[in-house]
Amino acid sequence: MRTPRAAYPVTWRVMDMLERLAAAVWPSSFQRGLPYLMLLPAIVLVGLLVLGLVQIGDTSLRVLDTSTFLMSEDYTLANYQRVLTENFFATVAGRSLMGSLIVTAITLLFAFPYAYLMVRTPSSALRKFLLVALFLPFFIGQVVRAYGWLIILGNQGMVNEALGLVGVPPMRLLYNYPAVLFGLVQYMLPFAVLMLAPALTAIPNELEAAAASLGAGWVRTFRYVVLPLSRPGLVGAGLVVVTLSLTDFAIPAILGGGTQDFIANAIYDQFFRTSDQGLGATLSLMLVAVGSILVGVVFMLFGAGTLAMGETRK
Amino acid sequence: MSHDKLSSMQIRRRTLLASMAAAGASAGLSTLGVSRAFAQEPEKPAEIIVRAWGGSWVDALKAGVSDSFTKATGIAVRHDLTEDNEIQPKVWAAVAQKRVPPIHVNWDTTTNATKSALRGVTEDLSDLPNLKDTTELAKPVGLDGYPIVNTYGYVYVLAYRPSAFPNGAPKSWKDLLDPKLKGRIALYNDGIGFHFPAQVAGGGKLEDIPGNMQPAWDFISKIKEQQPLLGEDPDFTTWFQKGEIDAACTISTNAREAKKNGIELAWVVPEEGAKFDTDGLWIPKGLPENELYWAKQYINHALTREAQQVWLDGLGLPGVVPGLTPPADLVDDPSYPVTEEAFEHLIRISSKVQVENESQWFAKFKEIMQG
Repeated sequence: MRTPRAAYPVTWRVMDMLERLAAAVWPSSFQRGLPYLMLLPAIVLVGLLVLGLVQIGDTSLRVLDTSTFLMSEDYTLANYQRVLTENFFATVAGRSLMGSLIVTAITLLFAFPYAYLMVRTPSSALRKFLLVALFLPFFIGQVVRAYGWLIILGNQGMVNEALGLVGVPPMRLLYNYPAVLFGLVQYMLPFAVLMLAPALTAIPNELEAAAASLGAGWVRTFRYVVLPLSRPGLVGAGLVVVTLSLTDFAIPAILGGGTQDFIANAIYDQFFRTSDQGLGATLSLMLVAVGSILVGVVFMLFGAGTLAMGETRK
Repeated sequence: MSHDKLSSMQIRRRTLLASMAAAGASAGLSTLGVSRAFAQEPEKPAEIIVRAWGGSWVDALKAGVSDSFTKATGIAVRHDLTEDNEIQPKVWAAVAQKRVPPIHVNWDTTTNATKSALRGVTEDLSDLPNLKDTTELAKPVGLDGYPIVNTYGYVYVLAYRPSAFPNGAPKSWKDLLDPKLKGRIALYNDGIGFHFPAQVAGGGKLEDIPGNMQPAWDFISKIKEQQPLLGEDPDFTTWFQKGEIDAACTISTNAREAKKNGIELAWVVPEEGAKFDTDGLWIPKGLPENELYWAKQYINHALTREAQQVWLDGLGLPGVVPGLTPPADLVDDPSYPVTEEAFEHLIRISSKVQVENESQWFAKFKEIMQG
């Protein structure tokens, strides 16, 4: 006697079929390879980046022949020699590095109380306001934000107009190094807060309460409880801010008035203004190297912070 | 080299004057009926893509060349507003990889275009019928044939805000060293347009370019003490409009456009001279035959007197076809040179010399300004 169809629905049959198909394509003996298969897209992506770096490395070893505007066939270290010996590149590299460190320090200083208040406030309305204020800039591109500062800080901008009301003559607030750093801090603040917030959330309220119950004031609690426990967040946020600042292009270009180039601006000039792809590639590689060394030093000194994910944190 | 440069200037001036005299004769020429330019017409593409600068620049091109080309041929013209120096590597890569390039016609600075010509990625345009009616200015200096066709010239003038110069217009680039202008002047961020007049203002000779440009660097170092702003074309208009600067070395078209927008502005060619340069049109290699044909037709059309008149009225620049009438506001203006006397104060250096040394000049300028 045949089994009635209703006893084994069609959907089950389909599922059986799919299971058999999956078993044929990916036998159970392959199960241990599943995590690696899931890693494949990331490996392909990183592989493409590495291929790109290899290509850039190759280009960096060739010089531009300005009689044909083709790269040389022979390999040479001439571009590296130029980058290491010409004052201009040293100035730009120093400005970028120093700028990224200053921006990181100031950003963390501002981001910490913001993130702390956002995480700890009992007021849901205040938390929402802080979140909205944090995310709003993400909807506005970096370039638009920089142009916004041109309107606010320009000679005829809101700030100078306000100063004019109290008799202060217009002053140049833009197109200098502090203006670039200011723009970068404003741009980086949301990144830092977003990196710090999870680390601060992970600090139990009870620990602060316990410290207070043992007689510690707010400052001591902050110094000996909150700050050490938030170090992973500070390190993670610091790494993100320092690398993004170091490689930034738009803010130095717009708020620097053409006189405050960072390394990315110099790279753009070589690739697109003078068509010297070899020198541009060399600068790119050196930027990658400086950024990697900087991150490596931070890893060695402070660990990877929140970027270490599940790994035991120092 | 300097001798060649001067010779070319003299030839061009003579040709220009002769061409001006022949204006009446050429005025009767037809607008090159595009459809009649070549014996057989290959298949028409639906559109051709022309890279252009935005704002008033593309508006002028559209009004003068593209619209009339479309009317004559039925082929739509799409303007690609990618920056000239950003389209360049894309075109170079496409040609190197034997792909169809992303544009049909590139409206480019002659200096930039010369790089592409030296690299061998430009089509030869020597067979354009309308070239026979152009002045010597249309021919790129220092290159064989016509890998580029220059379509007009322009001057890097000293634009200034008259209210900041109550004693009259500035006469010299050295006037920018006035302490009251500290932080109130602007140059291009690579110094383009300023290197050559700075050479003269610094006590040097044009004949020494590129061998000895120390006078230029010395003068630029003095200018640096004035804390100039450094930017691109749109920045100058913004800075004048926002009251950030009182004087700038910029292309006359930008100054004229700013003035049209209601900004109080005037311009001069200072006694040391001002850089005169050209822009042009060229076609990248790798286009299908029929598209190459129609791209050439587009450039051929851009060389007609009618197209040049409307296009260059919009830009306020002198063209390469005899018989053009200057816009009313630019008659006898130093930024619209049409006489030998007007050209005497303008500095023209061969594109080849410029492209071969540009990288070093830009680097030196930046080293001074960023130091």
